[in-house]
Amino acid sequence: MLIATGVCTMPKHIRRLLLLIAAFAVLAVATRFILVDKSFYQFGHYRGAAVAEIAHDKPKYQGTEFCRSCHAAPYAAWSTGVHNRPLIGKTVKCEVCHGAGGGRDAEQDYVNATTGPIHPANLKLTVPRDTRAVCTLCHERIVGRPVQQAQVIPRDHAADEQCTLCHNPHSPRTFVGATLALEHRGSIAVGKLKSEACAGCHGADGVSAGLPGPTLAGQDEAYLVNALRAYKTGKRDNPMMSPMVADMSDDELVDVAAYFSSLKCTLAPVAQERVAAAQTSGASVCTSCHGFNGAGALHIAPHLAGQSKDYLAEALRSYASGARPHPVMTALGKTLSEQALDNVATFYAGATCN
Amino acid sequence: MDDRKLLEHKVARRSVLGGLAASLAAGVAATADTLAPKVAQAATAPAEVPSIPGYDWSKHAWAYGVDATKCIGCLRCVEACKAENDVARDPHHFRTWVERYVEIEGEETARIDSQADPVNIAASSSEGTYRFADRYKDEKVHKAFFVPKLCNHCTHPACVQVCPTGATFKTDDGVVVIDHTYCIGCQYCVQACPYGARFFNAELQVTDKCTWCYHRITKGLQPACVEVCPVEARIFGDRNDKNSAISKFIADNRVTVLRPETGNAPNVFYVGLDKEVI
Repeated sequence: MLIATGVCTMPKHIRRLLLLIAAFAVLAVATRFILVDKSFYQFGHYRGAAVAEIAHDKPKYQGTEFCRSCHAAPYAAWSTGVHNRPLIGKTVKCEVCHGAGGGRDAEQDYVNATTGPIHPANLKLTVPRDTRAVCTLCHERIVGRPVQQAQVIPRDHAADEQCTLCHNPHSPRTFVGATLALEHRGSIAVGKLKSEACAGCHGADGVSAGLPGPTLAGQDEAYLVNALRAYKTGKRDNPMMSPMVADMSDDELVDVAAYFSSLKCTLAPVAQERVAAAQTSGASVCTSCHGFNGAGALHIAPHLAGQSKDYLAEALRSYASGARPHPVMTALGKTLSEQALDNVATFYAGATCN
Repeated sequence: MDDRKLLEHKVARRSVLGGLAASLAAGVAATADTLAPKVAQAATAPAEVPSIPGYDWSKHAWAYGVDATKCIGCLRCVEACKAENDVARDPHHFRTWVERYVEIEGEETARIDSQADPVNIAASSSEGTYRFADRYKDEKVHKAFFVPKLCNHCTHPACVQVCPTGATFKTDDGVVVIDHTYCIGCQYCVQACPYGARFFNAELQVTDKCTWCYHRITKGLQPACVEVCPVEARIFGDRNDKNSAISKFIADNRVTVLRPETGNAPNVFYVGLDKEVI
């Protein structure tokens, strides 16, 4: 009553002012109710619902187990290889090279893309097109990269070749073509029995005096197995060798390889001739695959030390002419002049073999 | 939130706001702010934690570690972050990045470059892929190393303090995030951050930055950059768990933080920083 009386007796301009303030207050509350989210101040001075919204996004990187469910074989190679060494803190997971959930091909960096049943429609397993560009991201020698990281100068290490020519990308210390996935371990004794026919070209005890066959004694076992298998499958074609291995089983090939690699080669070095040849041979390019002094570095390339000069020269000529095609050796052979070729052959023919 | 939806939402919001008389809106907002807390609380039944399936933010205290002595500068983290979080594939916007410090004989200060440096962009195949160029091979370098950087998710974040709309905030589990539906793109926070960790997304007209992949860590996953780091230079985990990788990293190493004098109290802990690194 008192208030009512007060309002009634209040001057008109004051009453209007109060009404205006009250109207503003109502409008403010209403506007606030409409515009501000209901969850504002739920947890603090922010929209509480935003937390769950941000957390709701779908992860793109799936982890190695996701990949394993379909790609068991590459996973197995990777998990036992040098790219998976959690104990020393080095783990190159699938998605480091293949992209998130396999699906990062926005700029067409990848080839061989396939879509599996688990991947969403536009997610594909992506395979790097240029392994040289991918591998060197971690393994190119640059200033600032810590010394414990394996690094190479790409041009010196592999000229213009792709890394995958030699390295299995899932397990880089495994060399392509060098894996001896043998169910059967080679038997030297059985190999000796099976290799009687070889002596005609490769010499007694696998030491050849010259053409037609190379010295086999002391040769890398994995290289021999792969060479014999290549003859059998027709990947390497040779009028002498192809019929020789045609009737041999894979176990017998492995036995023969074990026998020859167990032998010692005994060719004497031709020291003086070799020193002269070394000056102009250009044999330094050979060392990255064939090892220092041709004693073998990788299982993909044979030992050259102690082979006869005639055989080495003939082999280089057949690479250069394309009669014996090979991704690396054909290109290299073409760069050699007849004199340089002769020098290289002399150099390695004179190298001491074990 | 999905980017396209966000864009539509923001356009719609702008048209509504445009319809209101500007002076009226200003007056209303000023009044409303004083009344806001009670009204908002009355309008909702406050839940204790955000509704994230299988996740309780009161049980976690996230932190991040960087071991600069291990970083090989491969930049897989930078590309993974962009893919995971749909960051523009250009050389100007990064939620995380890597700096290279190179001290050359006879020079007083280190030379610093990152993946965004034009020389390094030229060495990569495109603006969306990154690599460090072999640019110092002819210099007499006596020291060089990489330093990965990202948002420090500070305990006292300057960016949150200056935000006028409550769009950026620190969650109870220790992550500083941005609510893109409330961000008005004023970029005060970009200015306030002493680490340069924030950038402006011109397409969405909002600020963006690292969230420690909040959508991953709340599902028990590692942030994308930690997931792909091949040499364990990046470590992430829960400080409430004494056996977590991050707890051990902090306990077993002499760790430091970037620019402690700013008082922001970062939660990214570094090992192997040199005097040049700020």
